[in-house]
Amino acid sequence: MFLDDLLTERAQRRRASHRMGLVLVALLACIVMVGGLATKSRAETAVPTVAETTSVTEPAGYVRPNDMGTGALLFPSREPGYFVEAPRLSTDVAIDVSGPVIRTRVTQRFLNPSKGWVEGTYVFPLPEDSAVDTLKMQIGERFIAGEIKPREEARQVYEQAKAEGKKAALLEQQRPNIFTNQVANIGPGETIVVQIEYQSATKQSDGLYSLRFPMVVAPRYNPAPVVQTVDIDRASGYAVSDPVPDRDKITPPVLDPKTNAKVNPVTLTVTLGAGFPLGEVKSAFHEVNVETVDPATRRITLKAESVPADKDFELTWRAEAGKSPYAGLFRETVDGKTYLMAFVTPPVGTESPVKPKREIVFVIDNSGSMSGPSIEQARDSLALAISRLSPEDRFNVIRFDDTMTVHFPQLVAATPDNRENAIAFVRSLTAEGGTEMLPALQAALRTQGPVAAGALRQVVFLTDGAIGNEEQLFTEISAHRGDARVFTVGIGSAPNTYFMTKAAEVGRGTFTLIGSESQVAERMGALFQKLEQPAMTDIAATFDGAAAGDITPNPMPDLYRGEPVTLTAELASAAPTGKLQITGRAGDQPWRVEMDIAKASDGSGIAKLWARRKIDDLEASAYALPDPAVLDKKIETVALAHHLVSRVTSLVAVDITPSRPAGAPITSTDVPLNLPAGWDFGKVYGEPGSTGTVPMQKAMALPAPVIEMAEAVASKMQAAPTARAASLLAEQSAEVALPQTATLADRHILMGLMLIAFAIMVGAGYAFLRDDLARYIGANRTGGRA
Amino acid sequence: MSLDNRLQEPRPGLLSRLSAGETVLGALLLLIILVGLMLVGKGAYMKVKAELSQVLLERAFDARLAGDGHVRPWPWADFDTEARISAPRLGQSAIVLKGASGEALAFGPAWLVNTPQPGDPGTAVIAAHRDTHFRWLKDVRPGDLLEVTRADGAKLTFRAGEGRVAPWDRSGINAQAIGRHLVLATCFPFDATEHGPLRYILSAELIGDTGPDGTIARLSGSDGLTTLAAAAAVKSF
Repeated sequence: MFLDDLLTERAQRRRASHRMGLVLVALLACIVMVGGLATKSRAETAVPTVAETTSVTEPAGYVRPNDMGTGALLFPSREPGYFVEAPRLSTDVAIDVSGPVIRTRVTQRFLNPSKGWVEGTYVFPLPEDSAVDTLKMQIGERFIAGEIKPREEARQVYEQAKAEGKKAALLEQQRPNIFTNQVANIGPGETIVVQIEYQSATKQSDGLYSLRFPMVVAPRYNPAPVVQTVDIDRASGYAVSDPVPDRDKITPPVLDPKTNAKVNPVTLTVTLGAGFPLGEVKSAFHEVNVETVDPATRRITLKAESVPADKDFELTWRAEAGKSPYAGLFRETVDGKTYLMAFVTPPVGTESPVKPKREIVFVIDNSGSMSGPSIEQARDSLALAISRLSPEDRFNVIRFDDTMTVHFPQLVAATPDNRENAIAFVRSLTAEGGTEMLPALQAALRTQGPVAAGALRQVVFLTDGAIGNEEQLFTEISAHRGDARVFTVGIGSAPNTYFMTKAAEVGRGTFTLIGSESQVAERMGALFQKLEQPAMTDIAATFDGAAAGDITPNPMPDLYRGEPVTLTAELASAAPTGKLQITGRAGDQPWRVEMDIAKASDGSGIAKLWARRKIDDLEASAYALPDPAVLDKKIETVALAHHLVSRVTSLVAVDITPSRPAGAPITSTDVPLNLPAGWDFGKVYGEPGSTGTVPMQKAMALPAPVIEMAEAVASKMQAAPTARAASLLAEQSAEVALPQTATLADRHILMGLMLIAFAIMVGAGYAFLRDDLARYIGANRTGGRA
Repeated sequence: MSLDNRLQEPRPGLLSRLSAGETVLGALLLLIILVGLMLVGKGAYMKVKAELSQVLLERAFDARLAGDGHVRPWPWADFDTEARISAPRLGQSAIVLKGASGEALAFGPAWLVNTPQPGDPGTAVIAAHRDTHFRWLKDVRPGDLLEVTRADGAKLTFRAGEGRVAPWDRSGINAQAIGRHLVLATCFPFDATEHGPLRYILSAELIGDTGPDGTIARLSGSDGLTTLAAAAAVKSF
């Protein structure tokens, strides 16, 4: 009995101490969890602020220079980092096509609707190959014209003029296809007329000629969402008050396209001198009137009442059936030098009727910089490319980071099995590690065995190009390429396009840019067509009998189906004689064309086209030069000689206003201004025939919608009381976006701790109540039995 | 794990004495604990990675300063070292990497390549994570000195100004501003555990510049340059 009691007592004591322990553990877990919850809820209080600010990021009517699809004048807005578009009063576009050369003159008139001084930025997107050479402006009553200068010097002249309160403008190339024109010291209520001229070449493919003019208008003046600015109190970290309480009352008017057409009239005239009898002339997206001047010349105007489509203006034309030229030679003499432009369309018969056999080596970059959407796009693109191969083709896949894997030991036939196998390999890739591109490139170029007879070797490189040893790679490509063509595919939102464009040029392939998932199918499709149907390779041009000229592009790229060979050249003498020879190879068949230089027809603007292409060639050869300053100097020399805006030269505007005769009234509202000789701004004032004089802006009554729009814009603008302050405001608007600088590490740790605490709590709670529960259930059972 | 052992095995032969339902419950709890441990491990890994990598980066940067060219901190690293930044009063220092990709930011503060180099005319921007390398940024007081050693050997000293808070895409930082500025940026609020759009921005001004040879190369406060409204206004695309 005693022993029994003792045992029970001891067991009870042990159980009690166990219970005590469990209670403690549960309590501890509870504390941890409550603590975690408190921190979490604290973090969440910051979240509503987050949601509000993100909705403010794109307020209606506020734009950024990159949004602009057409020419626009931007003023700094009250939202730092954003701009507002100046009301565009009218636009006149005159396009002059003479043979292969397109000369475009754009004249636009804007209004400064504010009651203060501003510095504006005129943004104009252009086709990649355009050469900008002329800038003329009228600001209020002052006329200024651009002069070409080295970039730094131009900037100094501009800053100087700006600081002195003078009207000034500076046209710089930001990227090959984006030009910006800063305009200083625009006074209150002044109108601004900007006129720029540029030159480009007609596009030609399959006998179809085309030109394009950017007319897309970014969505403007949409109904405003709730606009709220968050002002963060530094001490508490929370938003306290809205600094501009009446902000949401500024409801910008909604412009429907019809009103917009009236408010912002666009006149567009194309004088099409094709140089051959014209067949069909078509505008894809806009209604036009086509007037026949003579068999080879048309005058095309936009139908006045037509609503401008929100698309680029595109004009295409063909020669009359059977009269399509297959070759052409034009020339221009400038400063004792002759500039030639030649094009030849290889005859259709030389194209091989069957698809050539191909040997493709795919190289995919799966380094750490590709992580996220980039690697997904690369995988999709590559899988698509592999699935398009036909069984006669042979292929291999190489992946690299700081290590490298060659998937098949050698090139294999693209049988369904091999394709499946390779696609599975590609799908399994993850982005990690460094970028050691050279070994992969060497493997692709050197170790894949000799090229089979009659086959085409193609290397397709998918990467973001985040590398530092570009020169080494270019050298490798040019030294070991052999007959292979290197195609680069740029992946991600900000790939190293410099590297990839040049690598493709050196490798005689093309560069394809894939910026988002949605572009994969379309862009890769276009690349496949090129890969599958090369028309002519090894193209070279030589002069027979004439002094060797400077030929661009150099080297000549391969031709694809329906494309002509187009080249420009500079010859030293004013009246050269001799022959221009172009040779190439279509499949196994050699091809050769000769043209007599003396018989070239005159064309204007060819020198500028040559200069523009020469600059491209110089940029492309940058990797071969030891010193970038040498390259800059070479480009500067060409650009200055031909009055072109380039990466190293800018147009800076000088005030050339004709001086007012002494005694004339200083500000008179109805005296028309005299335009400098040779200037033509008449069209943007809506008064045909008024060339030579323009009315003062105050004399013109603005239509009601314009006034309404002007008020809406003025309410968003940040205008300054003085010219000097205006430039400071403009400066504030150029700003740097900051990256995400929070990790989820703390969050992970917190959530992990909470999960553990939860599990312990439940476990401990259950263990604590287990005996009671068992007894309870047991009691129930016994009760039931009884 | 020890806690959990104690729970699951208070007495020997526990498993045999558990009913089916209890076994399932036990397994479930064990699973939750495992997931929790993995999360804690993941978070801790990020922090440890951030700290440890700095040691290797330090070595690579020293090699660069010594003129050994571009030494990769470790063979599979996908970035270059660019500078060393330190806050002497706080006793903090870190190696700055080039280009603020998410990848680089995991290892160190990063200099944004679309801004000028620290010490060049304009505003250089260096960003880092608030919970690792720039945890000390909130403690920098106006007037504190910040030292930057560039890869070319130039030693620069900046004087910190006021900090402010702005959304990431409206930072108000002008890369072409007049004068020579340095901006250090990190996420805000400092103790939040979520991603957010706000950034804490600390600006600093250059006060002196010691060249690689130890001489004062130039003294360039902004005052000499401000009189001519000189800087590029709209250039950042």
